[in-house]
Amino acid sequence: MVNKKHISITINGEVKEAEVEPRMLLAHFLRDQAGLTGTHIGCDTTNCGACTVIMDGKAVKSCTILAVQANGRKVLTIEGLSKGREKLHPVQQSFVDKHGLQCGYCTSGMILTSYWLLKNKKNVTEEEIREAISGNLCRCTGYDNIIDSVKDASKKMEEEGDPIEEQPEIKVRA
Amino acid sequence: MVELSEKLVKGEGRFVDDIQMPGMLYLGFARSQYARARILRISGAQLTHKEVNFDIAEVGEGATEGGSELLKHPVLAKDYAGYVGQPVAAVYSDDRYVAEDLIDSVDIEYEPMKAIVDPEDSISREEMYPGVKSNAIVDRYFGDDFTPDSTDIVIERKMVNRRIATNPIEPRGVVAAYDGNKLTVWVSTQSAHAIKEGLSEALKMEPDRIRVVQVDTGGAFGLKGGLFPEYVVACYLAMKEKRPVKWIETRREHLLASRPGRGAVAKLKLFAKKDGTITGLKGEVIVDNGAFTGGSGEFSPIFIVKQLAGAYHLPNAYVRALSVLTNKAPQGPYRGAGRPEAMYFIERLMDGLADKLKMDPVELRLRNAATETYTSPLGFQVEKSRPFLESAIRELNYEKYKGKENVGFALLILYHATFGGESARIKVEDGKVRVWTGGNAHGQRHDVFIKTLLNEELGVSEDHVEVMKGDTDMLAEGVGAWGSRSSMVLSSAVIVAARKIREQIEKKQGKYTVQALLAGKWDHYEYFNYDRMESSLGANLVTADVDDYGRVKVKDCLSYYDLGRVLDPDNARGQNAGGAVQGIGQVLSEELSFDEDGLPLITSISDAGVLSADLVPRFDIKFHKSESPLPSKAKGVGEAPTIGVPIALSRAIELATGKTILETPIKPEYLLPVEKE
Repeated sequence: MVNKKHISITINGEVKEAEVEPRMLLAHFLRDQAGLTGTHIGCDTTNCGACTVIMDGKAVKSCTILAVQANGRKVLTIEGLSKGREKLHPVQQSFVDKHGLQCGYCTSGMILTSYWLLKNKKNVTEEEIREAISGNLCRCTGYDNIIDSVKDASKKMEEEGDPIEEQPEIKVRA
Repeated sequence: MVELSEKLVKGEGRFVDDIQMPGMLYLGFARSQYARARILRISGAQLTHKEVNFDIAEVGEGATEGGSELLKHPVLAKDYAGYVGQPVAAVYSDDRYVAEDLIDSVDIEYEPMKAIVDPEDSISREEMYPGVKSNAIVDRYFGDDFTPDSTDIVIERKMVNRRIATNPIEPRGVVAAYDGNKLTVWVSTQSAHAIKEGLSEALKMEPDRIRVVQVDTGGAFGLKGGLFPEYVVACYLAMKEKRPVKWIETRREHLLASRPGRGAVAKLKLFAKKDGTITGLKGEVIVDNGAFTGGSGEFSPIFIVKQLAGAYHLPNAYVRALSVLTNKAPQGPYRGAGRPEAMYFIERLMDGLADKLKMDPVELRLRNAATETYTSPLGFQVEKSRPFLESAIRELNYEKYKGKENVGFALLILYHATFGGESARIKVEDGKVRVWTGGNAHGQRHDVFIKTLLNEELGVSEDHVEVMKGDTDMLAEGVGAWGSRSSMVLSSAVIVAARKIREQIEKKQGKYTVQALLAGKWDHYEYFNYDRMESSLGANLVTADVDDYGRVKVKDCLSYYDLGRVLDPDNARGQNAGGAVQGIGQVLSEELSFDEDGLPLITSISDAGVLSADLVPRFDIKFHKSESPLPSKAKGVGEAPTIGVPIALSRAIELATGKTILETPIKPEYLLPVEKE
């Protein structure tokens, strides 16, 4: 047995501390240890994007990041988007309104990648959306309804803003 | 209406890998590294064939009865491995990482043999197994032999649809638990009942000791209707250890050892008069079955051949249907499951004939479209297609594209798997209407149309209705969600069940009211029998350009499908766009390829060619609405685009490059321009 490492990750605004094997993937840590099963695993090779989470403001694929690499960082998962609020997050609401999902398996990653895009860009074009979600595969929708959802979310974000409160800045350990 | 969507966008779906239970074991498999080898010795494994001595039972879409015992897929390999990825031994641990480690500690000694890889070589090679009479596990002729007119024009083509992985984004997976008497299985599936039936047969267990529960299912595309070796081993271990057992497939395992679809070769001759009237079809279709039965390799060639008249009047036909053993995973149903292959073959012949006659391909199709419904010499009823084709030409605006763009056009028949019917149960209690159905949705949103139908039949509002997942303890029998059947037979079972509930209430209380429905306790199980195979027509128009590097840009992709009554237009559009992406993928990139030793060359979902959003166009989808004879008046939704899009896109690429396209996927180097001297 390899020596376990102590990690502390701020997940959806809450600090989670644990002892983990260095080889544990962030995706498994989130799902099996933090109990956040909204992060899905689809391909194990960073291709499908079902496991996408936001780490320190960037959309990353948690199936090829070690939990120890996330030590001291802030992670936002799909559960964090509407956490503590009755209403869905605008991006989530747009996926419901515009039928941006069918089986729902790629959806968490698709929504978080879209959220990352919309935090970084206003008035997104269809081409920009296609480019941004090109690392997230969906086998059900043919993408049209996802693109319409992201466009709708762009409008909603402009009008309603982002309801996620700014999390306190955590310094990344050296 | 949006209950399920709201759960899923919050990450609150419950997929099979989300299940956690105290004491749960994780199962892993040591798999064959050779396509064909004798297994001499296994060491370091916790479970081998010596203990887990079961064969897989054939259930689900395309399942056939009987078949040779010799060809049955053992859940763990006996003394022979037939494909790379075949489960040979199993290991387990209460930690999923340790289970992975244990796989590496299994040592298997092989004696490799020369693999049979190319289906066209299979028949002339030695028998794959001792005792097997021939490597052709299906060899039948359909139609009657005929002598073509000596003045007829002949188009002779060899066409290939190579193997494709189904690649749902959620891989396969199962959790099994045993309480000393009853085995409960949670599974990602298209049919809880098929899994139950298969487990009962494979494990030789009484059906009433098995309960199969469907969990949220992250896509399936034909794959998840069947039973798999890994599921049987998980159940065995759960009963042996009396602990819950989980097995979750990795993508690599999916690409090696799930059941890929397509994998068919056609060598056909189409005969026609000089005016373009087709007179006959001859030749053979060979399906690449893989090393064992258990998938749909016995069903596929027959199903393909019976459809080969397409939507046309075909007076004569004589076609051989073959399925052959190869050292690959068993072939299985993939979205369309024989329909895309059949229509690809006949439609590509029609385009070839049009070119030979210097006729417009759509004009040629009009000339041959069936003017009356008739039964083709190959076996299937071909519905009158000419009026539909005329409206499709208008609706898809073919004249606008003709001669100006690289435009491909496809006319298709979608044969729905309506035979066998489907079940539904409606149970009302505590003001809540709960519905179970035999077909289990995996992205088709049955909940939406079931609520619409119950509102129509019973006047009950959506918020009182709960559409339940598949559960064999709550529903006596069931078939499954595949073959574009649910909008037809599942919906009809729900309608008839609702009408019976209404009758119950009228009988007891004199008249029906929603208040009486919700205040009472009611329960009705309905098996909606249906023994006919229905069909519907469809058409696609695709334009494409190809650049100097052989890169294809799909420009317009238009669909016009007869959906009868459209039960849920949003979802029908979504499913059709999704299917269109799969259709484009089949032509441009999707393939499970092998080297000459049968070693798979594909190791990731991207290698497998699943297309991302930046590589596909926006889809234009129109519906024709000619009602079906079923109570729901609907026709099938899911499979038309995977049938029509590959045909039309292949033709568009042909026009863009001047190169004949007869294989999917097209190898990119084939599209490079010929260097001029």
